[in-house]
Amino acid sequence: MDLFIQGTLNLFGDWQAISIFVFGLLGGMIFGATPGVNMLTLGAVILPFTVTMLPEHAIMLFSVIYCAGVFGGAITAILFNIPGAPENAPTCFDGYPMTLRGESGKAIGAAVSCSAIGGIASAILMMSATGAIAGWAVRAFGPQEIFALIFFGLAVSASIGAENLWKGWLSVLAGLLIATIGTDPVGGIPRFNEGGLFGLTFKSYYLSAGIHFIPIILGFFAVSEVFSQATNIAMGTRVRPKAGLDFPSVVDFWRVRWTMLRSVAIGFFAGILPGIGATLAAFLGYSQAQRWSRNRPNFGKGEIEGVVASETANNAATGAAMIPLLALGLPGGALTAMMMGIFQIHGMEPGPLIFINSGDLVWITFAAMFWANVCIVFLGWLQTKTVVHLLRIPFRWLAPGILMLAIVGAYALRNLFIDVWVMFLAGIAGYLLRRTGYSAAGVVLGLILGKLGESAFTKSMQLMDYDFLGFFGRPVSGVLILMGMAAIAFSIISEFRKRDRDADAGA
Amino acid sequence: MEFNFAKIVRLTAGGIALAAVSTLANAMDLPAKPPGFGDRPLTMIVPFGSGGGSDQLARAMAQAMEEEAGLAFQVVNKPGGGGTAAIPDFMLAPADGYTVLEHIDNAISAYAKGDIQENPAVDWIPLCMTQITFSQIYIRADEERFTDWDSFVAYAKADPGSVTMANLGRVGSMELVVMHQLSDALGIEVTQIAFDKPAERYGALIGGHVDVLFEQPGDVRSFLDSGQMKPILTFLNARPDAFADVPTHREAGADFEALTRFRGFFVKNGVPQDRVDYLAAACAAGFSNPGYAEFNRSKFMHLIDSYRDVQGSIDLINGAVATYRAMYEQLGI
Repeated sequence: MDLFIQGTLNLFGDWQAISIFVFGLLGGMIFGATPGVNMLTLGAVILPFTVTMLPEHAIMLFSVIYCAGVFGGAITAILFNIPGAPENAPTCFDGYPMTLRGESGKAIGAAVSCSAIGGIASAILMMSATGAIAGWAVRAFGPQEIFALIFFGLAVSASIGAENLWKGWLSVLAGLLIATIGTDPVGGIPRFNEGGLFGLTFKSYYLSAGIHFIPIILGFFAVSEVFSQATNIAMGTRVRPKAGLDFPSVVDFWRVRWTMLRSVAIGFFAGILPGIGATLAAFLGYSQAQRWSRNRPNFGKGEIEGVVASETANNAATGAAMIPLLALGLPGGALTAMMMGIFQIHGMEPGPLIFINSGDLVWITFAAMFWANVCIVFLGWLQTKTVVHLLRIPFRWLAPGILMLAIVGAYALRNLFIDVWVMFLAGIAGYLLRRTGYSAAGVVLGLILGKLGESAFTKSMQLMDYDFLGFFGRPVSGVLILMGMAAIAFSIISEFRKRDRDADAGA
Repeated sequence: MEFNFAKIVRLTAGGIALAAVSTLANAMDLPAKPPGFGDRPLTMIVPFGSGGGSDQLARAMAQAMEEEAGLAFQVVNKPGGGGTAAIPDFMLAPADGYTVLEHIDNAISAYAKGDIQENPAVDWIPLCMTQITFSQIYIRADEERFTDWDSFVAYAKADPGSVTMANLGRVGSMELVVMHQLSDALGIEVTQIAFDKPAERYGALIGGHVDVLFEQPGDVRSFLDSGQMKPILTFLNARPDAFADVPTHREAGADFEALTRFRGFFVKNGVPQDRVDYLAAACAAGFSNPGYAEFNRSKFMHLIDSYRDVQGSIDLINGAVATYRAMYEQLGI
C-alpha cells in the first residue's frame, strides 16, 4: 500500500508525468476508438520519442495507452457496429442492437463502467500478485493446455448468435476453415497458392499472409450493416435509432454482478497466459455470460449483460498482461512487446529482478494503470452525453463515413490491399449470413480461435510425438478437453430435446 | 550421406574474408543529394510486425539516416507469410529509390528454396547489411539435467530424440539447416519443435515445455542479463569476448562454417545509380551514427563485423544462396 501511495505521488507530483499521463489517456482512447488506427499505431509512432523520456515515464505512458486503447474501441462498436479493435468485437453483438433500440447511452455507460471496473480489478490483482503467479502460469500452461483451453472455449460458445445449434456449428467451422488459409504454422509451407482448386491456381504471395480477422470483422459488422440499413431505407422499413442519454442505473449493475465477477476472473486469467490476451478474453467472457445467464435467449439482441461481459473481460486482461512482462520479460502481445523495447532502449531488463532494481518504475506503472481506469469512468460519462449525438446524423451521410473508416481500417492493418477486398467480400457474405440465421460472430470466433488453436495444436503434437492421447496424460489439458466434449454432447442432446418439445407443442 | 564440408566452407569463405575489409567502408563522405531526390519522405517497408527485431532495426536505421543524411522515412509494417507478403507491394512500387525494403536472410533461403522468384542479389539491390550475428544454443539457467555443452551431449545421447528444441519452423530455415549440420557432425538427435511466433519460444523454454532454444544473443539479451537463460554453445569459429566461457561448435567437434542471421536494406533493381550510391552512402553513415551504434551494441552486434556495403552484401547473399542450395540438395528439400 505504501508503495502504491508512493507511486501515485510520483505520478502526480510532477507536471511532466501528469501531462504524459493525460496524453496517453486521450491518445489511447482516440486511437482505440478510430477504426484503422489503434493503440499499436500510436505506440509505434511515439516509440522513438521515448528515448529522451525517463524510463518510468515511458513505461507509464505505454501502460496508460494500453488501458485507454482497449476501452476506446467500444464506443464505435456500440454506435456503428465497427469494433475499434478486435478485442471489442463481442461488444458489437449486443451493444449495437441496444443502439438500434435507442439505448446507446445505456450501452456506452455499461461499457465505460465495466471497462473501468475490469481494469481497476485487474490493476489491484496485478499489484497484489507477485512474479510467482507469472512463473506458475508460464510453467503450468504449455501448448497442450492452451490448445485444450481454446477447444473448450469453442465447444461452449459454438452456438453464439445463430438461429440453432447446427447453423452455429456450421458458422464456426466455416471460420476454422478460413483460418487455414495462408502458410502452415509448422513448416511455413504455403497452402493455397500452389497446386490449385478446380484448375485454378492461386499463385499469390498475398494469400500466403493468410486471412486476418480484422477485415472479416469490419466486413461482417460494419459493411454488412450499411448494406442492411440501405435495404431497410429502400424498403421504407428503417427505424432511425434514437440517441439515448441514460446512464445505466445501479440496479442494472447489481443485476449483472456475477457476470462482472466472472469476466474479471476470465479476463485476468486470459491476460496472464502467454499468447492469449484481451481478444480471447472478450470472446470467452461473452460466451460464458451467455452460457450462465438467465436471459440467454436475449443475447445478440441487445442484452446489456453481453456488453458488460465482453468489456469487463478485455480490460481485465490489461493488468494481467503486465505480470509476465515485468516478472519474466515475456511480452504476451504487440503492445507489451513495444514496452519490452522501451526497457531495452533504456538499458533495463524486465525479469525477476525488476521489482528489486526498479521498484519505483514498477509502482508508478501500477499506479498509472489504476488511475487511468478511474479516469476512464469520468471521460466515459462525458462521452455518453456527447458522442451519442453522432447518431443524429442522417444515415445517408453517415454511411459513406462508416465505409471509409472501414476501408482505411482494413488497409491500415497490414498495409495490404487484399485486406480491403476481403472486407468487402465479408460484407456481402455477412449480409447473406444475417438473413439466413447463420452467425457472423461464429465465423469470427472460428477464425480467431482457429489460428490460435492450430498453432497450439501443431506444437502440442510435435511435443507429444504425434500421440493424440497425450492430451489426456496431462491433468489440465485432459480435464478441459473432456469438459469441452461434454459441453458439445450436452448441447446436442438439448437441441434434440428442444426439437421434440417443439414437435409436441405443434402436434 | 556425408556432408561436403569443403564445398560449404569454400562458398562462405569469401563472405568472411570480406568481413575483415568492409569495416573500412564506415569512413565515409556523404555524396551530394542527387538532384530531385529525397525532398519528400521515403517509404521503408518492414515485412514483419511492429515491435519485433526487424521493426526495431528499421526504425533505428531510419532515425540514423535522418540524422546523418537529412532523409525522412515513413516506416510501414507489412507482416505475413514469414516476410513474403510484403514483396509484391515492394515490387509494384516504382524503381525511383523512394521505396526501401528491410529484409533478413529469410528472403535468401526463400529464394534458394524457390518460395519467392526474386533473387535478392539481382532483382533487388542491397544497399547495405547493418546487422550480422551468430547463433547460440540456450538452456534454462536453473536446468539440473545438464549444465553445459558436454553434459547436454551426454544427456541427449543417453536417450536419443527425447531432447526438444524450440525453433522457427520454416522448412529449410537457417535454424534447421545449422542444427542439421550440427546433429550430423556430432551424432546427436534433437527433436525440433516448430513455433510460428518467435517470442513464444522464450516462454516455452523458461516454462519448461522445451529443453533447449536456438537463438541469437541480441534477441534474448534480457533473459541472459536477468539470469533466466544461459548459452551452452556458440556457432562461430572462435569464442567472442562476451561469451568467452562458452565453447564454439568447432571446439565441440563440428567442422562447418555456420550460417549467420543478417538484416539489411534493399531497393529495387532499376533505381538510378546516383540514387543507389547516395542511399548506400547514407546507410553507411547511419551505421556509424552514435545512436545506431549504441542500438547495435545493445543487440550484441558489435561482437562480429555487422556491416557490409553493396558489393559485400551481394557477396554475402550469393555465398548464402550457394550454401543453402548445397544443403537443400543434401537434405532433399
